[in-house]
Amino acid sequence: MTTPVLELTGLSRTYHAGNRRRTVLAGVSYAFEAGRMYAIVGPSGSGKTTLLSLASGLDSPTSGSVRFRGRDIAELGLGTYRNRHAATVFQSLNLLTYMTAVQNVTSAMEITGVKGVPRKRRAHELLDLLGIEPVDRTRRTLKLSGGQQQRVAIARALACEVDVLFADEPTGSLDHETADDIVRIFRRLAHDDGKCVIVVTHSKEVAHACDEVLHLKRGTLVPHG
Amino acid sequence: MNLCKRAWWRLTGHPGKTLMLIGLFFVICTLVLSGFLIQSAAARAAEHAKKSVGAVATMQLDVNALLSSGKNNGTDPAGARGGTIGSRGDLHRSLVDRICASSVVSQCNYTTDSGAFPTKSTKLYQPVPPPRGQDSLGTDLFKVDGIRDLNAVGAFRNGDSTLVSGRGIGPDSKSDEIVVEERLAKENGLKVGDTAKLRVGELPPPGQKADEREHEFKVIGIYRSDVADTGSYVPAMADPANQLYATPDGASVLLGKGTGQDGVLKQATFTLDAPEDLERLKKDAAAAGADLDLFPLSINDKQYRTLVGPITRTADFAGVTVWLVAIGGTVILALVVASALRERRGELGILLSLGEKKPRLLGQHLVEVVACAVLAIGLAGACSQFLSRALGDRLLASEVSAANEAAANEANQPDPSDPTGLAKKDRPEVEPLSSMEIRLGPADIAKVGATGLGIAALATCIPGARVLRLNPRDILTKGD
Repeated sequence: MTTPVLELTGLSRTYHAGNRRRTVLAGVSYAFEAGRMYAIVGPSGSGKTTLLSLASGLDSPTSGSVRFRGRDIAELGLGTYRNRHAATVFQSLNLLTYMTAVQNVTSAMEITGVKGVPRKRRAHELLDLLGIEPVDRTRRTLKLSGGQQQRVAIARALACEVDVLFADEPTGSLDHETADDIVRIFRRLAHDDGKCVIVVTHSKEVAHACDEVLHLKRGTLVPHG
Repeated sequence: MNLCKRAWWRLTGHPGKTLMLIGLFFVICTLVLSGFLIQSAAARAAEHAKKSVGAVATMQLDVNALLSSGKNNGTDPAGARGGTIGSRGDLHRSLVDRICASSVVSQCNYTTDSGAFPTKSTKLYQPVPPPRGQDSLGTDLFKVDGIRDLNAVGAFRNGDSTLVSGRGIGPDSKSDEIVVEERLAKENGLKVGDTAKLRVGELPPPGQKADEREHEFKVIGIYRSDVADTGSYVPAMADPANQLYATPDGASVLLGKGTGQDGVLKQATFTLDAPEDLERLKKDAAAAGADLDLFPLSINDKQYRTLVGPITRTADFAGVTVWLVAIGGTVILALVVASALRERRGELGILLSLGEKKPRLLGQHLVEVVACAVLAIGLAGACSQFLSRALGDRLLASEVSAANEAAANEANQPDPSDPTGLAKKDRPEVEPLSSMEIRLGPADIAKVGATGLGIAALATCIPGARVLRLNPRDILTKGD
């Protein structure tokens, strides 16, 4: 049996709004393995984004733990976890728009401290891999299309050499063809590069493309079908 | 260096916002630097003025001290009259000359004020006789100012009086020479070279006879006063036509006192290089035999204050401006930065999601603001000289005008300490400094640099505290 790269154990999250308490997640447990692509589906308001925030180290659970390679990410430090091991691709707000595609990638490599490789060359390699034309690599990302921006965001995540890639509705605003491209890239990352890819989606097509589909219902995560 | 690189990309990626920030800083730094330049120019001018006018120490009788000490009567036969001054109140020229020899005195001057009763040959000028029944006894006399130099007299310096024939009183004038007013000369048929006869202008003590001796004075000059006749009765002594100018010795004679070293002076002034020399002067005066209780030495810095008053007020205003601009600028910049941070929440969230540390995010922002500040400080250095010159000149001109107006009003007010008008000021009138030399030096640049960077740091760090409380989830996800 493969050792899980990411384990959620009894994960709960409760929000307080004045005197009101709202429990979004209640005791979610699951183990994610490297080299597989997961889809998390569920109706709006079911807690998908909250689950992704907790798993990616953007937020802390009310109770329970997130363990990366057996170590609690709270102990590791959420900043360190995000910096070295996990990357997130959002539906929007993905890139620093005043930078070019190459600068976005090299900047992330500098932040995460990737060493031993010429950053600019590596950025060009990754952008090439993701189908960004050379002429577009030195344009400000604000001027790129939505699909191109998503690809640049993925290139940035790859450049950081993370183990777990999270994506929140990565194809939500993309046309069908571009969405297919993105999904293909995710599959390749999981199956060829051994990354653990976790995608939160409403899209059936995206969910079908994943190795495993998890349904988030009433605060708990259950395998679909 | 990553944050510096990001800051540079950000600044060049948003040229409009960058220019706006530089512009805002430029305005703040230019105003602050102009204020500093005006302040330092004023300080230099004040220092120069201090050196040029020095300080004037005045020695004259303190009547109250004399009366309360009882030295005005008792052992002194000449002054043995209760309630009167007596000879112990005389400031002798011999004493003043000894004090003048002090090493701290750079210039020495003195005056003697007296009156003179008219004689049969030299009558008062009184175009309107006194109203019937009005007793004019005690004021029907000439006013005589004993001076060393007629040109140093305020009325002649400012053009209110002009010599129309002959010459004025000077250091070489003899004790029997006088200068008379044109109307008085015409009234008495006096011309330059004629002789005027005058009597001692002191009333005799009760029971004693008045000094009826007539003293002859040679008219060496005739002057014209700008003050015209009023058309109504004016006591003779208050009529400018009855103002005579004599030497201190001449005035001393008309006081019934001696001349030369025995001459009596009303007031002596000693010009010092610096006010700090007063203590040394007091020691020297005491060693020369002066009773400093009766004849206190006091520093008069009116000239200095007149010179530097407007420039100091301009500097004060500039100082207030510096503070207001610095505080206002910090607040405005803090609001701009706060607004920019709000606008950049997405960017901050992305960087946080990549694992960037919050202090480094704040650092990037600080680098951006400081870069704009440095550029603005450079531009301000180039432009503020012109602005501060224009601003300083305008402010100073308005202050000088106000000072001149105040001085004119003051001149028209009666002096409560001198109701008879017998006392006079022998110090030359000075005009307030009306220009400043604006110079930009490394110290000014350093000061504005420190202020500008301080403003940048404050304006970034205060609203930047919010960055430290940011949660990437709140920024990047909408939440379920």
